[in-house]
Amino acid sequence: MKLGHKAFSLFFTTILLFTSIAQAQTETYRARLSPMPTTPQTVSTILGEGEVILTLNGNTLTVQGQFEGMSSVATMAHIHNGPPAQPGPVVYQLEIADATSGEVSASLELSDIHVEALRANELYVQIHSETNAPGELRGWIFERQ
Amino acid sequence: MKFLNTITVLTLSRNLAFAVFLGLALAACDSEVSNTEEDVVALTFSSQADAGASAFATNCAACHGANLEGTTLGPILSGFNFLQRWGSQTPTLLLGNIKANMPPGGAGTLTDDDYLDIVAHLLEANGVDAVVNALTASTDFVISENISSVVQRQQRAEPPAPQGVTVAGNVDDFVPFVPITDAMLENPDPADWPMHRRNYYAHSYSPLDEINTDNVGSLSLEWVWNMHEGDSEPAPLVYNGIIYLINPGNVVQALDGKSGELIWENWAGPANRQDMRNIAIYDDKIIQATTDARLIALDARTGEQVWETIVADSSKGFSNSSGPIVADGKVILGLAGCARYIPEDCYISAYDANNGELKWQFETIAEMGQPGGDTWGGLDDVFRAGGETWITGSYDPDLKLTYWGTAQQKPWVPVSRHMTIFDVGLYTNSTVAVNTDSGELDWYFQHVPAEALDLDEVFERVLVNRGDDKLVFSLGKYGILWKNDRVSGQFKGYTETVFQNAFTNINAETGEVTYRQDIQNAQLNEWTSACPSSAGGKDWHSMTYHEPSGTMIAPLSQTCLENAAREVALVQGGGGLAASRKFFEMPGTDGNLGKVGAYNVDTMEEVWSHQQRASLHTGTISTAGDLVFVGDLDRRFKALDVHTGEVLWQTRLGTAVQGHPVSFAIDGKQYIAVTSANGGTSPRTVPSVIATEIKYPSRGNAIYVFSLPE
Ligand code: HEC
Repeated sequence: MKLGHKAFSLFFTTILLFTSIAQAQTETYRARLSPMPTTPQTVSTILGEGEVILTLNGNTLTVQGQFEGMSSVATMAHIHNGPPAQPGPVVYQLEIADATSGEVSASLELSDIHVEALRANELYVQIHSETNAPGELRGWIFERQ
Repeated sequence: MKFLNTITVLTLSRNLAFAVFLGLALAACDSEVSNTEEDVVALTFSSQADAGASAFATNCAACHGANLEGTTLGPILSGFNFLQRWGSQTPTLLLGNIKANMPPGGAGTLTDDDYLDIVAHLLEANGVDAVVNALTASTDFVISENISSVVQRQQRAEPPAPQGVTVAGNVDDFVPFVPITDAMLENPDPADWPMHRRNYYAHSYSPLDEINTDNVGSLSLEWVWNMHEGDSEPAPLVYNGIIYLINPGNVVQALDGKSGELIWENWAGPANRQDMRNIAIYDDKIIQATTDARLIALDARTGEQVWETIVADSSKGFSNSSGPIVADGKVILGLAGCARYIPEDCYISAYDANNGELKWQFETIAEMGQPGGDTWGGLDDVFRAGGETWITGSYDPDLKLTYWGTAQQKPWVPVSRHMTIFDVGLYTNSTVAVNTDSGELDWYFQHVPAEALDLDEVFERVLVNRGDDKLVFSLGKYGILWKNDRVSGQFKGYTETVFQNAFTNINAETGEVTYRQDIQNAQLNEWTSACPSSAGGKDWHSMTYHEPSGTMIAPLSQTCLENAAREVALVQGGGGLAASRKFFEMPGTDGNLGKVGAYNVDTMEEVWSHQQRASLHTGTISTAGDLVFVGDLDRRFKALDVHTGEVLWQTRLGTAVQGHPVSFAIDGKQYIAVTSANGGTSPRTVPSVIATEIKYPSRGNAIYVFSLPE
């Protein structure tokens, strides 16, 4: 994965920060962002990659991620509810730069049900763009190894 | 014959023009229509072709190239290859084939007229110049008869494609040829790799240990030989120091293993660019299946043809992409190309190795009134399709049983085949154990009944003895490693080697699978998302059994798909594959498409895995030197430690490493050989859609031979 040097050190300090503040109570998750399902016809128009780190402390989920190389500027980003590889409804809204590369973030209060969903790998991040309104980048959230 | 509104304008030589005209006039009593229609509608063949050019650019060029030249994603659609395949057929057949199967990623907004336009474009681009009137869904002229250059060429005496022995030589001039016996095949010399996967049990294991975990780091290239271009997934044979190599286009070569010298070459035809995975050796013969479903024996010393027999009628779509196994003097061969709605079904068949005489056929599809015939939802026999055996089986000489996997029902999705998820369709997607003397079914075990996602269970059956247990292992596209008793077929266990979400339950006692609800109920044009994709958890690349450590080591793939069923009309000659698909990375794999997974055959637990971005494109082999060899799309050929999966050595070849590695010895020195190759369907298409950053040349079929420096 090619993440900018700046982005990388930023996310590293973020991690350091959280681990020092929250120690054992926090759980760290990660989503690798990659293109939405493509065919050979769409493979040159559904583009980009990224990484989102999610930290759960109590019911508070802190979301911090980067994306780059999308085909057009980002319009929206969400967390959806669905088991791995099975799309599902939007459950939370994320803040996102309206650019083809940039940051995605949020601080969310999860319901208990969604905390369970998170632990069961049943949440995913999806980024929509101008030319790919149904979604351009997507990544299921797994516990960080 | 009906020449509805096809009028052929002849720029051909007079005699021929007259003959064709006469034919038309005689056959076209009802063709007045075309003249009147011409006045009303301005549509012409060439206006269709113009529109078709842009529809092709949008919908097909990504895979077949802007100029039909082919890419790594799809075959060439022009020139010799196209004419070879389609020249003798009609626009209607071409249209039907394209509508049923193309584009594999989804029909999208293509209308019937768009498809007609695309066919006109394909024909025009291939030189069809004797047609004026617009094509219709029933235009049935012979394509090549409307290409003036082809007609002229046929009138001149052109040198035909190579046929028969093209390079003469004799193995005896290199090493005295010793006929190979049943006993030698049952217990191969450690120096040989005398069949696909080396032994009857399909272990893909070499007992050689000169190259081992300590010294593999210094493995070096000994020689390389470029092969013919075309689709290729070859498994070389090595017997007594000679490499027998199947090339694309049904060409077999014999090479001296030590020097890389070509000894002989034979072209059995058809001279196309199609794939054949493996050949067999028996007595003094090399036995070869052809892509047009013939079986041929060559003299292993000289390459001269000894006998030939027809396995199935290739004009009905039957074909072979894998070769035979020779068991107890019988050449046993599968059959592919059985997706069409025609009365004939697929079979496994056996032939006398001495003369090619048919011994028996076992049909893989149960017909009405036969045992299992009531599992097809009452469909007429004509509409029961699938059950291909496109991967070579294995053999237990003690039980006299040959073990084969069968492919799924066709079309892919139950609703497309006018059936439900309860119409299991015997004997598709099963292991079948067939008696080698009688051709009768001894037992079957259906791994995935009523298959719904184009994920077949057709691959090699690996036979394993553990204590008193006689077992058979298989690993299909669902990525499930199955363990069955090979005497009774009884289910003995399973493990999931990659993430799958197609089944919500796999019964631990019986192995019975339950599809996810939305897959069970999938309706036409409804998208279903599932893992693995049609590239499989595992595909044609065979796994290896390392007996010393009791591990099965498999080349696996981690991608997922979205699938939408399409309508397939129940008409004779129709049928086909019929689903639209999109592909994506398997969640939780960090974008690693390739996985080598090692499984303990007793506990079925994963011992280790090696994961990497590039998909794997060779079978795995293991050796007594405690090594596993495997190659990938990113041109890397790797040696792994069989106990840990650690990469101990790797090198990069000219293009994707694809085929089946082998190990052999000459004069006590051990060699490792592997092919680089291009072509192939889902295992190539899917990674090139997902891992677009991996680049490799579209040519470069070759065999590379490695050894330790002196
Ligand atoms: C996803 C890439 C892809 C796209 C897009 C695609 N094809 Fe194909 N096509 C293939 C592959 C792969 C094969 C070989 C299939 C096989 O052998 O099973 C093929 C086979 C064919 C064949 C048969 C070739 C032969 O020699 O038998 C024809 C004809 C064809 N495609 C036409 C088309 C047309 C027309 C379109 C556009 C409407 C199209 N294809 C779009 C990948 C593609």
